[in-house]
Amino acid sequence: MPAQTLIEVTDLQVYFPIGKKSLFNDSRLFIKAVDDVSFDIQRGETLGLVGESGSGKTTVGRALLRAYQPTGGTALFHGAEGSVDLMELEGKKLRHFRRQIQMIFQDPYASLNPRMTVRDLIAEPLEANNIEKLSKDQIDDRVRDIAALCKLNLEHLRRFPHAFSGGQRQRICIARALVGRPQFVVCDESVAALDVSIQAEILNLLQDLQDKLGTTFLFIAHDLSVVAQISDRVAVMYVGKIVEIGPTEQIFHRPRHPYTRALLSAIPRPDPDSTFTPERLTGDIPNPANLPDGCRFNTRCPMATQRCRIEEPDLRNFGDGHKTACHYAEQVAEPLKTVQARENSKNSPPKHQATLSTIAQSNEYL
Amino acid sequence: MTAPPILAFENLDLSFQTDEGLVKVLDQVSFTLGRGRTLGLVGESGSGKSVSTRCAVQLNAKNVRIGPQSRIVLHERDGTQRDLLQLGAKEIQKIRGGEIGMIFQEPMAAFSPVYTIGNQMIEAIRLHRTTTKKAARTEAIEMLRKVGMSSPEQRVDQYPGELSGGMRQRAMIALALSTNPRVLIADEPTTALDVTIQAQVLDLMRTLQSELDMSILFITHDLGVVSQVAHDIAVMYLGHVVESGQTRSVLKNPQHPYTKGLLNALPTVNHLKKRLSPIGGDIPGPLERPTGCPFHTRCTQATAGLCDQTMPPPTEITAGHRVSCHLMTP
Repeated sequence: MPAQTLIEVTDLQVYFPIGKKSLFNDSRLFIKAVDDVSFDIQRGETLGLVGESGSGKTTVGRALLRAYQPTGGTALFHGAEGSVDLMELEGKKLRHFRRQIQMIFQDPYASLNPRMTVRDLIAEPLEANNIEKLSKDQIDDRVRDIAALCKLNLEHLRRFPHAFSGGQRQRICIARALVGRPQFVVCDESVAALDVSIQAEILNLLQDLQDKLGTTFLFIAHDLSVVAQISDRVAVMYVGKIVEIGPTEQIFHRPRHPYTRALLSAIPRPDPDSTFTPERLTGDIPNPANLPDGCRFNTRCPMATQRCRIEEPDLRNFGDGHKTACHYAEQVAEPLKTVQARENSKNSPPKHQATLSTIAQSNEYL
Repeated sequence: MTAPPILAFENLDLSFQTDEGLVKVLDQVSFTLGRGRTLGLVGESGSGKSVSTRCAVQLNAKNVRIGPQSRIVLHERDGTQRDLLQLGAKEIQKIRGGEIGMIFQEPMAAFSPVYTIGNQMIEAIRLHRTTTKKAARTEAIEMLRKVGMSSPEQRVDQYPGELSGGMRQRAMIALALSTNPRVLIADEPTTALDVTIQAQVLDLMRTLQSELDMSILFITHDLGVVSQVAHDIAVMYLGHVVESGQTRSVLKNPQHPYTKGLLNALPTVNHLKKRLSPIGGDIPGPLERPTGCPFHTRCTQATAGLCDQTMPPPTEITAGHRVSCHLMTP
């Protein structure tokens, strides 16, 4: 059976108005937090969504849950009861539908009510609007089932959250999100606040739960090494746009966007032998209220040309669902050895590692 | 090759006085920062890495109790030694921000939002040296240029809120360096930054260190960062240094079960979709500090009757590489 698409997002836009609206002038400025983002997620897979702060990754997740009202675009949800556009749902329908989609947040200290017991916290999503008309015993059974799956000690269900450590609290949050058997869960930086030894445990737990329950995850994170462990596919965002999306191996081993390459090179590896030569990205992330013309990355890109400053690149497909929005994606993906060889044949001093700027110099397109 | 020491922590014992009684936080913490070197202090939250370094500048809260055997020795240029724990308020003020500079994790919280960057830098410079305001301002601009700020003449009159995260952290580094310190304590300086900005800041710190002949105490929880900036590493767990030595030696040949576990649990981009091997169990809370070796509750190789009873002494396995574990003692 071919993989089925669960969620199809097309041209999603979330704009936040800034400044005051005057009485006579209706024109307002907008921060384009998410600007024409399209992607799909297959049933039972994990899509990693990475980007730096301000890239709009959290906004995408929240818009899918309709925590934010989107400005435009559609998000088709192909559930068991037919397809629904998440962006069109209103009122009671939306409330009922929210059981299908859940969220796990970053900070397990802030997202649990300190005055509720663990049992009540986990049962709350079932009791909130008891659509399934479960009896108290049935709810208790469901809570125990999910708590056991999340490796929580069943004797601890009567305790309050303050008695638990960060890792245990995050497991309570996971149990709470999964107790209503949602088809789709958005994990927003769900392991960022945890220590390394605990983080590994939570990542393993999420993968186990996915295998057992078939849940689909959108995993939002800024840490690429975490995303590398859990994702089937990865999307990279930069200031409100997806610049590259594709299977995890492709993104990590053959990135085609200069930004993805720069991100990967900037991760310090715990190996004293590895040479740490991050791509030098000059400058800061542009202000989303005042975006540069052309490609959004052109102000920091070492390979940027005149074309990049005028023409905005489209996402182009390079096979296997690997799409990149860069005019020079072919050159970026070139294996480092070829670039080095060409460099050396020009009798220039040998470089330790070909960087984006050496690629830019060695190519004739400039 | 051993560099002459500049800052040595010796048998630091520390407890917090709380309503629940005395809570032990540091237990016999010893490590040495060599001149011109970077020591990476690594550990998870609650391991005591920040608390121990704050002792060096007496920045801890009033409820700390430091053990009588504890010493933090600063080696002066003329070869004399001073125990920083014994200094009075006046004397430590000269050290704090002068001899020992500091960078904190959250640059927005460390700067005052109501004074310009330049104002705060001039204040620091004039506090530790007698110069005119004008000369201090020129120095501040020069320092901002050194940390890679564009158009420092304008930046010096800006408020911290007007700068981006990366720029603010650069300003923080410039502020710490403006008094020409011999030791720099950097407490998670890049944790709040994005990876591409983090790479810029790490690069900058390495360049400045060789330029200014500084010793850096680099506190972080990120083993990746530490392997790129530190010459030496000290790994802490629950207020105890479990393993220390040269970076290469510790990361390539880890001996303590905790260090090994930490390295195994680390997700890397070299392996995709790999199942991670976490360290079992949870970090014990501060009130339930284990007896004996602090790691025995999570250690797979713990021996009952030994590890839960006595604290293992540090054993030197190769030159400079020390491990505190009963497995190391025959």
